Amino acid sequence: MGEIMNKKNKKAQEEMVGFALIIIVVSIILMIFLAFYLNREPKKETVESYEAESFTQAFLQYTTSCTDNFEFLNVQDVIYECDIRNTCANGEDPCEVLERNLKGILGESWNVKTGSPVKGYELNIVSSKWVILNISEGQKTVNSKGSAQYLPKDVDIYFVAYY
Amino acid sequence: MKQKKAQMKIQQMAFMLLAVTLFFVFVGLFIFMIAYSGLKDSASTLEEKNALLLVTKLANSPEFSCGGSFGNEKTNCIDADKVMALKTNSNKYSNFWGVDSIEIRKIYPVAYGVRVECTLTNYPQCDIIKILDNGISSEFSNFVSLCRKENIEGKVHDKCEIAKITVSYGGDNE
Repeated sequence: MGEIMNKKNKKAQEEMVGFALIIIVVSIILMIFLAFYLNREPKKETVESYEAESFTQAFLQYTTSCTDNFEFLNVQDVIYECDIRNTCANGEDPCEVLERNLKGILGESWNVKTGSPVKGYELNIVSSKWVILNISEGQKTVNSKGSAQYLPKDVDIYFVAYY
Repeated sequence: MKQKKAQMKIQQMAFMLLAVTLFFVFVGLFIFMIAYSGLKDSASTLEEKNALLLVTKLANSPEFSCGGSFGNEKTNCIDADKVMALKTNSNKYSNFWGVDSIEIRKIYPVAYGVRVECTLTNYPQCDIIKILDNGISSEFSNFVSLCRKENIEGKVHDKCEIAKITVSYGGDNE
């Protein structure tokens, strides 16, 4: 009778030790997880939306080689000239000037080469009549930041950077 | 015999209490973790907004901005001629903006060869205008148009290019 009780006691003790061990192991794992989670750096987004907005505002002010009778036109004026299919006073085609300059600006501002944090971009300039310009480069990923600029004379500019 | 059984019961209860306590500790830690992670996110959002405000504020401050010199009042437009004048007096402004360094780097059109720092002798055939340079800490940048007056065949024209203004500052300014 005594032997049976002793065996039962030992078994219960072993169970308790096992239970305690499981709790200790689980708590250590949770502690490690917690420490790792709390110590991680807050993720900084590669492209901030204000960067896209400022970029759009900046390129609209860029001075091109296209002229009217008085001065060199900026990108915004060249967009209007292209929209109404006008010709620059120096004989250049405003749509060509626009495409050449914006391709250059985009290529220098947003590096989409392998290993770069920016994976791709897309620029759309549309008027009420037609699509004035569409430039896209690189990959379109699920993460993006963009800006929309609504100009007078029914011209809209949409820029999206993918990262 | 009875004593041993009682001891066992006490031990069992002790372990149960320990388990229950640990459980509540973990629940508490979990709640704390969620609250703390939210706090970190909002802190980083605030830091981002602060940086945006600082860079935009600098670009649109009277010492930098184009004002009405290049047609209509423009946002994120920096007057390069004004900045070059400011560069020569940058020591007077070392503590004015509360930043460690301010640099304006021309992006487009591309300069061929090595990027050249602007001085009064090589301006405007240069790419980088360093206004303050007191080491690098946290860096924040933004796109701007860098405008200047250019003399072409006796006529003065506005010339705006694409640049990036980079501001770096330590945590003590936040």
